[in-house]
Amino acid sequence: MSPQLTLQTPLQIPPQEIPGYLQKLWSQDQSDNKGANTFCLLVWHPAWMEQKLVNTGRINGPVIGVQRSDLIEEARKIVLEKDLPHSTPPLDKEVFNSFKTTNISKQPEDLRGQHIDSAISQLQPRRLITLAPNLEQGHDLETLVAAYCPLPEEGGDNSACGDVIVLKGDRNSLKEGLCIVEELIPEDLPSWLWWNGSLDEDPEILSQLALPPRRIILDSALGEPSHCLNVLQERIKSGQAVNDLNWLRLRTWRETLAMVFDPPNRRDSLSNIINLDIDIQGDHLVQGLLLASWIADKLGWESTLEVEKEGQGYRTRFKRPDNLMVNFRLMPLPLGNPSINPGQIIGLRLICQSTKNEKVGLCVILASESGECMRLEAGGVASMELLEEVVPLQNSPAERDVALLLESSRGSTSPLLSNATPMARKLLNLIESQK
Amino acid sequence: MIQATNPLRIGLRQERVVSPQCLVIFGASGDLTHRKLVPALFELFKQRRLPSEFALLGCARRPWSDEEFRNKMSKSLEKEIRQSPKEWEEFSNRLFYEPVNLEHPEDVIKLRSRLEEIDKIKATHANRTFYLSVAPKFYASGCKSLAEAGLLKDPIRSRVVIEKPFGRDYRSAQSLNRIVQNCALESQVFRIDHYLGKETVQNILVLRFANTIFEPIWNRNYISNIQITSSETVGVEDRAGYYESSGALRDMVQNHLTQMLAITAMEPPGHFDPEAIRNEKAKVLQAAHLANELEPWKCCVRGQYSKGGSKSNPLLGYRDEVGVDPNSTTETYVAMKLFINNWRWQGVPFYIRTGKRLAKRTSEVALTFREAPVHLFDAAGGTPTSNQLILRIQPNEGAEFKFEVKSPGSGMRSRPVEMEFSYDESFGEPSDEGYVRLLADAMLGDPTLFTRSDEVEAAWRLYTPLLEMIEDSPWQLPTYPYESRTWGPTQSDELLAKDHLLWRRP
Repeated sequence: MSPQLTLQTPLQIPPQEIPGYLQKLWSQDQSDNKGANTFCLLVWHPAWMEQKLVNTGRINGPVIGVQRSDLIEEARKIVLEKDLPHSTPPLDKEVFNSFKTTNISKQPEDLRGQHIDSAISQLQPRRLITLAPNLEQGHDLETLVAAYCPLPEEGGDNSACGDVIVLKGDRNSLKEGLCIVEELIPEDLPSWLWWNGSLDEDPEILSQLALPPRRIILDSALGEPSHCLNVLQERIKSGQAVNDLNWLRLRTWRETLAMVFDPPNRRDSLSNIINLDIDIQGDHLVQGLLLASWIADKLGWESTLEVEKEGQGYRTRFKRPDNLMVNFRLMPLPLGNPSINPGQIIGLRLICQSTKNEKVGLCVILASESGECMRLEAGGVASMELLEEVVPLQNSPAERDVALLLESSRGSTSPLLSNATPMARKLLNLIESQK
Repeated sequence: MIQATNPLRIGLRQERVVSPQCLVIFGASGDLTHRKLVPALFELFKQRRLPSEFALLGCARRPWSDEEFRNKMSKSLEKEIRQSPKEWEEFSNRLFYEPVNLEHPEDVIKLRSRLEEIDKIKATHANRTFYLSVAPKFYASGCKSLAEAGLLKDPIRSRVVIEKPFGRDYRSAQSLNRIVQNCALESQVFRIDHYLGKETVQNILVLRFANTIFEPIWNRNYISNIQITSSETVGVEDRAGYYESSGALRDMVQNHLTQMLAITAMEPPGHFDPEAIRNEKAKVLQAAHLANELEPWKCCVRGQYSKGGSKSNPLLGYRDEVGVDPNSTTETYVAMKLFINNWRWQGVPFYIRTGKRLAKRTSEVALTFREAPVHLFDAAGGTPTSNQLILRIQPNEGAEFKFEVKSPGSGMRSRPVEMEFSYDESFGEPSDEGYVRLLADAMLGDPTLFTRSDEVEAAWRLYTPLLEMIEDSPWQLPTYPYESRTWGPTQSDELLAKDHLLWRRP
């Protein structure tokens, strides 16, 4: 399904008049309709790359704030043109910085916040507030408001409507506009912040928007790894409900690995793991560390305080509950045509020693492609029972993943994520001390 | 030692979470509430699928207090509470009780203010699910009282769950539907059939529509007959009062077995959407009919268990059970042959049987495929066995496929072997009770696993010729006695023998 635009053209009104306007909208025109009793979603939506590509005429406008295919294709072309390493993710900061902004006479149309992905509109949000910062300086704060009813094809037959508010302007004017945001958030409904940008930028704005008990959606693959894990850990520690898109993209790995050990006759092998290898795409380590930490947490492994650099990768050890050691190797691989999400896992290998019941050891290989499978098969696993599964890379649009979180969240951080984060942080500290 | 739980599985399931709400159970002092409903809700609570803004209000005629209600419920959950005392403490704080007689309007008005009070204490946002776990004769008056008190006014925030049996026959089901639909929108009504909550029944849908290999052969071109069995080893136990007026046809066939039939025979829905699925189920039931509607005794056999067992463990006959009329003609066994008049199933017989005090407790759907057109090989057993796909609903949940292979040795003789899938072996953990799933779905407002009004009516209409005959001229459909712990009366075997078939021995 294609994204939907608001049915009416948003009205541009001064920020201070918005609360009054909304009150009027719901009390007069819609006396029987109090709007959807769902949630309010606040979105920080910079879409820097899209703005720059549209501004330079490399892709056609308007700016809509969606990771569309022409945007990704063009960014991949820039990687080649500018002679960047082929393993550079297309939306990486390096790609953004590698080409110049050219001033164009006419500003392209900007529909961020009005262009609602159907996955989100199906959930019938009560209010969508988008903060859309301009790439260029010198833009005053502009506020737009529109009522919004999902179309019947989006499940809108119950006519539970909501409204859309967009705040546009350059960073400074948006900062000024932040003061009206809290007033616009309905008190009696759960509210979410989707930080749809890098965690490195605008920490003040993040702090101002991510006020407890607001639930946060962020992506720990966007930003410098240690900073990403810091933000994740701090927010979780403070008791806020944190939903990480990078963690969500791990779900097929977690599920497939659990599936391997569902049959009761394989469970013994879980207590006899001696090796864990994880290969990731590029050098953003967070996803790989989160997966290793999840396994460690579930199997009661403790981290030792030693890390060695091994080629491009890192080697460390975990202590099992029976005090035996598990070797863990995290290997960043520079692959061409990488996924848009930095640091995605592409392979995992678990080696379990033979036991009294299982005379042969077990080698579990999960890989996103056959080449990776063959790579992990190397190293003397031929004598073991070999179990291989394919885990496709998660490349679904961020909007769909956000919708999944909005729909399934319990209003608290997943205990799996909150248990895995501190260990991932600890491992990253050790790795960084080796650099 | 094998670990009981897969540690990597813990916390992995992403179940939908119920939105803030109050579940109101009418008939809270009854058996179903403490045996099934409250344990299912406690399970949901332990699985973190209930929000913190959740309350359960038990309603019945007994003048219990909140505390008494909590104590009564804790008695049936002693084992679970020992394992999770902290969780019970938290959960029981969400249990409330209000004495209500649904036939007294003043009680329902009182209930309304109690609910408003609970909304304030537990922040349940006036979002309510009313569960009618009362005697069927109170379904209509219960719905009316709720509607008159304005408790079903909001179609988004109020739902009503109605237990089986929904009516006694086509007419009563139709009239009950009219009353219920005058009180609430169809989207607010959840008619429960706990068989649909079973993982294995839902698995029939997944097996059929998530795999490409089955659907092309799931039709009259490849399938010769389908047998649906649900057998129990227990007798009528303490349900004689209800069972005497219902019998196996109303108790099991019209609902549980018919739902299995519908799911097995329905066309693929366009998408996994409640209405799309229910449309297909209703359509297939509307196309189903008894093999001989004019002379139903030719396609239906009724039976009644007589005494049996062993010297050390003698079993009473049905007529000797406490609360049963010594001359009762109520059937405890019923077997019948049906057809479905559509392109997919024309001419394929569906044999259905259910009974109490049969040889084994089992529920299954067995699809027998047509024989190979030419028999090239000698069969080790004399005649080649047809391929069979057996979907085991309970116990030993799973599926098996029977096919012929070469018997080892120098000749070319074939013999049947079985390919097995077992939930236990593959997943190693018991699935949730049907009520866990269904209660969660009702509170989520997801009607996929609930029967719609037209489905219920179509199911009753299907058995109308039998019900009318039992009512008007019961001698034409006598209840043949069968010894307890056998596979039913011999007449039931004859029903299949006429088609040169045998019942499967599960």
